[in-house]
Amino acid sequence: MIRRDFLKLASTAVGSATLAPWVLEREAAAAAEVDAVKTAFAEAALTRAKVLGASYSDIRINRYRSETIFTRERQVQNVARNQDFGFGVRVLVNGTWGFAASSIVSADEIRRVTAVAVDIARANSMFQRKRVRLAPVEPAVASWKSAFEKDPFDVPLADKIQFLLALNETALKTNGVSFVNSSMRWVNEQRFLATSDGSRIEQYLIRGDPQLTVTAVNRQTNDFQTRRSLRGPQGLGYEYIEKYPWQAEATQAAEEAVEKLKAKSIEPGRYDLIIHPTNLWLTIHESAGHSTELDRALWWEANYAGTSFLTPDKTGKLRFGSPLVNIVADRVQATALATVAFDDDGVPAQRWYLVKDGVFVDWQTSRELAPLVGHKTSYGCTNGDSWASVPFARMPNVSLEPAAQDTSLAELVAGVEKGILIYGDGSWSIDQQRYNFQFGGQTFFEINNGKVGGMLRDVAYQSRTTDFWGACDGVGGRSTYELHGAFNDGKGEPGQVGVVSHGAPVARFRQINVLNTSVSMT
Amino acid sequence: MLLTEADSRAMTAKLLGYVKADDAVVFLQSEDYSHLRFAANTFLTSGKRERTTARVTVWIDKRRGSSSTTDLSDAALKQAVEDAQTFARLAPVDVEYLPSLAQQTYRPGQGWVDATARVDLPARARQISEAIAQSEKAKIIGAGFHEVGLLAQATATAHGNFHYERGSIVGLAMTARTPDGSGSGYFARNHLDVARLDTGRIAREAIRRAVDSRGARMLPAGAYPVILEAQAVADLLDSGGMSFDARNADEGRSVFSLSAGATRVGTKLFDPRINIVSDPFRPELSKFTASDEGVPAQTTYLVRNGVLETLRYTRFWAQQKSRQPSGPLGLILEPSRPGVSVEEMIKTAKRALLVSRFFYIRTVDPRSASVTGLTRDGVWYVENGEIKYPVRNFRFNQSIVLMLGPGNVDAIGVPERVASSEGGTDPLLVPALRLNAFNFTSQSDAI
Repeated sequence: MIRRDFLKLASTAVGSATLAPWVLEREAAAAAEVDAVKTAFAEAALTRAKVLGASYSDIRINRYRSETIFTRERQVQNVARNQDFGFGVRVLVNGTWGFAASSIVSADEIRRVTAVAVDIARANSMFQRKRVRLAPVEPAVASWKSAFEKDPFDVPLADKIQFLLALNETALKTNGVSFVNSSMRWVNEQRFLATSDGSRIEQYLIRGDPQLTVTAVNRQTNDFQTRRSLRGPQGLGYEYIEKYPWQAEATQAAEEAVEKLKAKSIEPGRYDLIIHPTNLWLTIHESAGHSTELDRALWWEANYAGTSFLTPDKTGKLRFGSPLVNIVADRVQATALATVAFDDDGVPAQRWYLVKDGVFVDWQTSRELAPLVGHKTSYGCTNGDSWASVPFARMPNVSLEPAAQDTSLAELVAGVEKGILIYGDGSWSIDQQRYNFQFGGQTFFEINNGKVGGMLRDVAYQSRTTDFWGACDGVGGRSTYELHGAFNDGKGEPGQVGVVSHGAPVARFRQINVLNTSVSMT
Repeated sequence: MLLTEADSRAMTAKLLGYVKADDAVVFLQSEDYSHLRFAANTFLTSGKRERTTARVTVWIDKRRGSSSTTDLSDAALKQAVEDAQTFARLAPVDVEYLPSLAQQTYRPGQGWVDATARVDLPARARQISEAIAQSEKAKIIGAGFHEVGLLAQATATAHGNFHYERGSIVGLAMTARTPDGSGSGYFARNHLDVARLDTGRIAREAIRRAVDSRGARMLPAGAYPVILEAQAVADLLDSGGMSFDARNADEGRSVFSLSAGATRVGTKLFDPRINIVSDPFRPELSKFTASDEGVPAQTTYLVRNGVLETLRYTRFWAQQKSRQPSGPLGLILEPSRPGVSVEEMIKTAKRALLVSRFFYIRTVDPRSASVTGLTRDGVWYVENGEIKYPVRNFRFNQSIVLMLGPGNVDAIGVPERVASSEGGTDPLLVPALRLNAFNFTSQSDAI
């Protein structure tokens, strides 16, 4: 079926983008046939959509490969490789969206599914109140590859298993360690976008998520504590495994999990916090990343993720944080998870300020959102997590800029009389308008009179977004800056999962409310 | 197009025919899913996806490998089997390997309704347009999500088991906000039968709550008696904060663990009127009756009359502990005596906060099943049997086990089918609860 359609459609391709060589190299023969004709398939979809009355259309023909390995202690729990291949057609008819997608990638199916998308748009357009208008974009023909060095899908499975089991063995050497779970997940996205504006864009992305969790159980006192690795997902290839000191991380995680069992439980109250980038990235994500999403501010997410305390009339006026706070959005930072060359609207990746010198100044936008706040063009935040998902506004990388002066962690600690130094992300929660949040962590150390002391436990900090960022009186320099992120940022209905990075230096926050999270069961 | 039973038999047989391993389980999932999303009183996105996934797990010399694909061509299916076999050859011995299941006996499921599969697009657009019209008439800004999901699943093993099942679901969730942002209400329901989904009621309830929550007062944080509507109870129970996993409990890393390797099974942890049951067959749930591995569903009391009676076992852990493996979960919280209505709970309350929904619930301390989160879309102060005024939102920090513990449960409602407002469509059967104390730890400005 595919073969016949391939031959028929291949001859109709005109003006197709050149396929990047690695796309063909990496695929099995049957799949490669589809790759070779996807520009022709795309022409068929876009032409059909136009004939059926669409004023705009696009098609994404995407293949996602993933590999996951789970281990615990001295055993492998599962090894799996998944391939998810299909296409999604998006159309605008009478200013109303329609979308349809299928895992059968053939010319007949593309024609059928395009018609379904148009039917959906047309049925809904009868009742539509506000017509969609898109900001203009220059058509682009391009191919791009993310900034990885070593493709993890080329690395033998045995090496990966050996690495994880060795990591577990390292952690198990520490007395008091009861359990170790480790895993690695690799994802390869091969994206192809064709739009009725004329864009033809190939993108090849690699990302990885190695994880380690050490658990120490005290069976006498019925207590247990965990310590997760401080490093998480990155837009890196297998070089992430080879270059980062994972064995040292396993040793430290093991020692700290055991130490947590004996650590002093926090006395609740107000403390100065020194927050390491391994924790601060998540606070940035929840409080600054989501609050500056324009679709939330316009109540488009009201039914699920929520709205925002930021509104268009506050742009350029609202004091978000202290003058030290500069928060930048980008989709261009190398090795960051949301980095691409073009978004799913065909808009080129950019970098712009959301918060400048403490003042909220701008939004995350898509082609559909940009005109609604008077922007002439989009910042390129549109993304669909699958060929089967409707692309919509997703978070770019959102990061706290380091200070111009290279302030160190020690210098920030020196200015604290009574405080807590926090590493690693733990429990997290924030309200639907992004005011009130509570964050835990992995490890906590008391600070007394400018010196870091012993470990604390049962710590969570709770604050209000603008109070918290307003209390920031120290930002570390470039040497303290690290990039962290998530594979699991949920948004939208039907729910989609985003990947996103957040860079941060070490930073200091004065007099933040700290809770003790332990609860007695007796 | 969903896979039929005949398609599934043929495809699982084909996959198993390609297998050259010692053992194998194949799993097919085919979906036909459509949605219509609206916000700011206008349609946003609408779409449909059709996808079939084949997953193969094989064992060679007790070494396990797995792979999946959405490409159903013979070449791709063969490749998926070969990939799984390649991984198995490279993997260490799976010490938790158990032979795949021989033919099991399954009670027939009741989770499919033809009428739900026939929901037509123009009719849906009109129905949602009417919900928006209700919002416009009430001077409310409506946002919501309508979805229709059709799913077919099949599992087959090298030892002769085969099971095929279909399920349907249709749901509407709606949030209504006053244009000045001073009030917000939410209501959501889903059902396997489109005839049982009252979209008009969902819109009316969301709008009423938005109107009634305007002008909320800020109360100090602290422990309050509460009336949790069924939606709020579903949000808490589906949050993952209280897991019934037996292995974690046996390994000392669960709220149900005790010192020296013991567990709390057999102890009276909960109010004596509380039963927590897994029963996917209950007509109001009608969930799938087999796990991905093919373990048949059972009716199991996890908590009976307040006593933790058993936990949930994977096949491996069940074998280790000489227990029956658990089938798919269909979670029900029900009282051992007839439940009372929310109206009755309000009428007989001296003082309480009525909570309609929770949001962003995350585990804070697994040792006590403690979670944090926030109220959302409607909190009201109740005094001497009447709702007095709306209240601003709170953050809470609360142990779910202690919340349901003896002495804290004041009244239990009538269980109803509700899905977590953050967890998709998977339904629970849960009642409203009136509790003596619930720990609100700070105020939230969010509306």
